[in-house]
Amino acid sequence: MVDIAKLARTVDTAAHKAKSIPQLSEKAKYSLDDAYAIQAASIQRRLDRGEKRNGMKMGFTSRAKMIQMGLNDMIWGRLTDQMMIEDGGTISLENYVHPRVEPEIAFLLKRPLSYPCTAAEALAAVDGVAPAMEIIDSRYRNFKFSLEDVVADNASSSSFVVGPWHRPDTDIENLGMIMEFNGRPVQIGSSAAILGQPVRSLVSAARLTAEAGEGLQAGWIVMAGGATAAEALRPGVHVRNSVQGLGSVAFSVTE
Amino acid sequence: MAAKTATKKEKTIKDAARRIRTAWKNGKTTKPIRDVLPKGDIDAAYAIQQINTDIWIDEGRRVIGRKIGLTAKPVQAQLGVDQPDYGIIYADMAVVDGDEIDFKSVAQPKAEAEVALVLAEDLDGDQLTLLDLIAATAYALPAIEVVGSRIANWDINILDTIADNASSGKIVLGTRPVLLDDVDLRMCGMVMENKGEQVSIGAGVACLGNPLNAAVWLARKMVDVGMPLLAGDVIMTGALGPMAPIGPGEVIEARISGLGSVRAVFSD
Repeated sequence: MVDIAKLARTVDTAAHKAKSIPQLSEKAKYSLDDAYAIQAASIQRRLDRGEKRNGMKMGFTSRAKMIQMGLNDMIWGRLTDQMMIEDGGTISLENYVHPRVEPEIAFLLKRPLSYPCTAAEALAAVDGVAPAMEIIDSRYRNFKFSLEDVVADNASSSSFVVGPWHRPDTDIENLGMIMEFNGRPVQIGSSAAILGQPVRSLVSAARLTAEAGEGLQAGWIVMAGGATAAEALRPGVHVRNSVQGLGSVAFSVTE
Repeated sequence: MAAKTATKKEKTIKDAARRIRTAWKNGKTTKPIRDVLPKGDIDAAYAIQQINTDIWIDEGRRVIGRKIGLTAKPVQAQLGVDQPDYGIIYADMAVVDGDEIDFKSVAQPKAEAEVALVLAEDLDGDQLTLLDLIAATAYALPAIEVVGSRIANWDINILDTIADNASSGKIVLGTRPVLLDDVDLRMCGMVMENKGEQVSIGAGVACLGNPLNAAVWLARKMVDVGMPLLAGDVIMTGALGPMAPIGPGEVIEARISGLGSVRAVFSD
């Protein structure tokens, strides 16, 4: 019998104290369903501390990454208000284990979205699209983990930052994306890397959350997935993601 | 003694040029050229390319433009160089969007998605700048460059690729001209697919920060070497993402945001 509560406490404490831990799977054998139960329980601990749920994130949305990981589906994680960085804000690396940042596209929902839904229905639930970045920070040593481990660890999600919102009918299929550190490009890509079209990620988000009995809620932010490889953060760096036609989103890391 | 050395080097360059030419003609590959040249002798490599350019023009090949290679910073770093290179585009290399390309017509083919610029005016003169380039550009097109290498197994360094006409093969141009006013060439997203699978992803900034930067470098270089770009010339500005392998019968489609799409179709 897997002790969900105990494992949830372990990953939550690691995230809360920014201390790395060995992979859960080294000590306990657990299934993917167990992993999502651990994730849900660990996020519940955050909510019990007063955090508010405000969205979800998609992971492994690049086909190359899925194949590389030997997977046939995406993973997802839960977002809270405490994970949100203000656009233009500053973070301290003290609150992270070994954070990396990736450029993304975010959706804001104006109404709940259940599944099955078409891409058109999904878009009809969208209030806006925005350039975004996610800080992923596996709580596991050396960023190494099994599929179950990363799911239990909230899909490595740690923080996110969202830029200016644009109309939901904005074409986001193939937008150039440039992520810069101190004004120099470190990752170059296109929103097409997100499942060929980020709206597909939104439909998948509706499916995965519906399967978990949650669905997507009005007011939530859906982070559609990384458009490039992640880049390790370092002290004193100014990070900006510019997206063709959507403007940019930025944050700084303290020295 | 000096004269004798020069003669020996000239012969080496001529022999290397013939080796490339023969491989190109027969659709074969040859050993790397760099082994017969002094280390890092870029001038010698261009001398090899120039011999073949002169011969091919004499044989009736029509020059329709230039290509710029090594425009990605990571590729430059990998080859240990801090500049791009150029090659000649001939009329027989131009393929119409969607027309079938004989798979055997390019040795070891790979595909790159690029921005092509077409000139309305000559770019001749001292100290050309971005302003001259913008003023001289008629329009931009989405393009696929089918690169190839006459060097066995793509075992190339900067000298090999320069000598081999910058590893050129075919070019496929899109058919809807776009004015520079109407496209952001730095931010434009690029995705290239093969049978619906993404094989390359990038953006305009990957080409020397902006495809126009690469074109300015080329315009200046062409004046330096006495072959200035002319009205009507096409400039293949350089890859917007990693190059992708191609197999027989495959269809590559590149889409560049703001420029449209273009297809390279290969025979079995």
